[in-house]
Amino acid sequence: MQRLRLIVRLALRNVRRQARRSALTAAAMVVGLALLVMSRSLADGAHDEWIEAGVRLGSGHLAFQAPAFRARHAIEEHLSSADRAAVEAALADTVIAPHLKAVAPRLEITALASAAAAAVPVTVIGVDPAREPAFSEMEQRIVEGRYLAPDDHLQGFVGVELAQRLRLRLGDRLVLTAAGPDGAITDQLVRVVGTFRTAIPEVDQSLIHVPLATAQAWLGVDSGVTTIAVLLDASWNADRFTRRLQDALVARADRIAVLSWRAASPELDAAVRMDDYGDYVFHGILFIIIALAIVNTVLMSVLYRTREFGVVRALGLRKRDTALLVLTEGMVLTGISGLVGLLLGLAITWGFFHDGFDLTALMGDQMTAAGAVIDPVFIPQFRVVQLVQSVAAVAIVGLVASLYPAWRATRIDMAEAMKFEA
Amino acid sequence: MTTPPNAAVRTEAVWKVFEHDGIAVEAVRGVTVRIEPGEFVVLAGPSGSGKTTLLNLCGGLTRATHGRVWIDERDITDMSERRLARLRLERLGFVFQAYNLLPVLTALENAEFSLLLQGVDDAERHRRVTALFEKIGIAGLEDRRPGKLSGGQQQRVAVARAVVSEPALVLADEPTANLDSASSDALLDVMVRLNADLGTTFVFATHDTRLMERAKRLIRLVDGAIASDDRR
Repeated sequence: MQRLRLIVRLALRNVRRQARRSALTAAAMVVGLALLVMSRSLADGAHDEWIEAGVRLGSGHLAFQAPAFRARHAIEEHLSSADRAAVEAALADTVIAPHLKAVAPRLEITALASAAAAAVPVTVIGVDPAREPAFSEMEQRIVEGRYLAPDDHLQGFVGVELAQRLRLRLGDRLVLTAAGPDGAITDQLVRVVGTFRTAIPEVDQSLIHVPLATAQAWLGVDSGVTTIAVLLDASWNADRFTRRLQDALVARADRIAVLSWRAASPELDAAVRMDDYGDYVFHGILFIIIALAIVNTVLMSVLYRTREFGVVRALGLRKRDTALLVLTEGMVLTGISGLVGLLLGLAITWGFFHDGFDLTALMGDQMTAAGAVIDPVFIPQFRVVQLVQSVAAVAIVGLVASLYPAWRATRIDMAEAMKFEA
Repeated sequence: MTTPPNAAVRTEAVWKVFEHDGIAVEAVRGVTVRIEPGEFVVLAGPSGSGKTTLLNLCGGLTRATHGRVWIDERDITDMSERRLARLRLERLGFVFQAYNLLPVLTALENAEFSLLLQGVDDAERHRRVTALFEKIGIAGLEDRRPGKLSGGQQQRVAVARAVVSEPALVLADEPTANLDSASSDALLDVMVRLNADLGTTFVFATHDTRLMERAKRLIRLVDGAIASDDRR
């Protein structure tokens, strides 16, 4: 223990002794870590925006569906009322329930929409008008009219480009034709109660929301739904909750599949991952710069103190203690710089971007990414796990970068070291 | 061959050959020497005679090319680095020409360096170093860094560091080379007294005639070999 105390004391004083050199290296690490914190918090904020926008228009952070529904998209692959009850029970889990922002049952089907002007294929989603607004925020996308109300029955909320194509106005009727679970073709008349624009052409050209009860009655599936979409308070909870819910519903695995947004929206997942990889390259370059700064300083310090290392070895310090001394110096430098860099990164990010990183001047009022319309103002996200990862990564870089100087220190020839003039 | 036990250090036909630009330089050539506990020995000779190299061989700071070296009857010729470090820590003390104190440590911390590595507790370390500082005339300088000490004071701290753990053998390479006459004499007085009081074995490599005059045994080296070995 005394040996360790001596090594730490020597390391601390040696770092302080070469104050200017240590400060220069520390500055490189501080700037590197500050950039890392800033870039990660902004990237996390942007990704959260993407994901949030994507899952609200899609099937949520978590989606419960019949296992074959995603592949076949057929109405017979729906969840029964017993399945829905099992899902509701699973979502009541005390770990998961506090993280639920919205749960929306949906009956989704491909249909033919016919009006006087034309007939076009559409996606019809039967939604619960009481629960859906908190989920997809369609009320914020209204172009004309209103969104569905809980007591609506024969109303339809139609994409603005679809309405234009079918030359529909508010109050106009259209007929939806689809096959029920038994294959029989069946029609449903609805009136346009409102139109919406998401800025995603394929959605605005083909999506219609109708009341869930209307869709169920039309298609003859009683209280069945094709999807139960769940919105969480944070996207990073999705993976662990998916595993937890899969475990909870394992007895019904042949009836109910639990999908995270990554599986339900693979294009969104791919876009986020691609962006992450770009960030990793940037972070990798930062780490290399930091590592070179540490190697340079610690190695120069070792070479400058060749005689001292010879002396301490002659006095009985073991090779591994000598290596530990150099590693400790590197880690002290890294630790202090890491802490300062972390605080600086947080301060800069919060100071400049607490109201968001505004890309409006470059991207306009709305921008699309991976099939989602997103706000061009990114709010930085500070997550403890990300900050810990950043500091840990810099600490590992510091440790690895100190290995070579430490090895060099153990190779110093004691007799030759005594002749060394710094 | 039978050898009486308890030699502080001995060598047998030891050679040290260095390679310089592909040319072999024989720094020590077949030296056999035996130094008894409590001796006050000077290795003398002109520059390049091999005295520092022989001192380094005796201290395990460099490995012999041929021959064998024993410290306290332990053969260090092929000893592992780890065991050799342990042996140096427990049995040897070193005093170097350029003092070689660690600049980031105070005089007291420098002096107690070996005791710290040996795991001696705080109170005992402090007691021993303070008593030694008193004995060698540098009491009151405990908290000064080397940069705030004169050459003579630094070398006394270096001597204190070498002897504080009461090693069997102290090896000193030109300990007075950077000191003025008064400081040299004072330092020699300290080491003679430590030799007499503690029975510590001292082996010096030096040009300093004053040191040679006070040696109880003078070994002269010429071209890496022993030219004379006089006991007084």
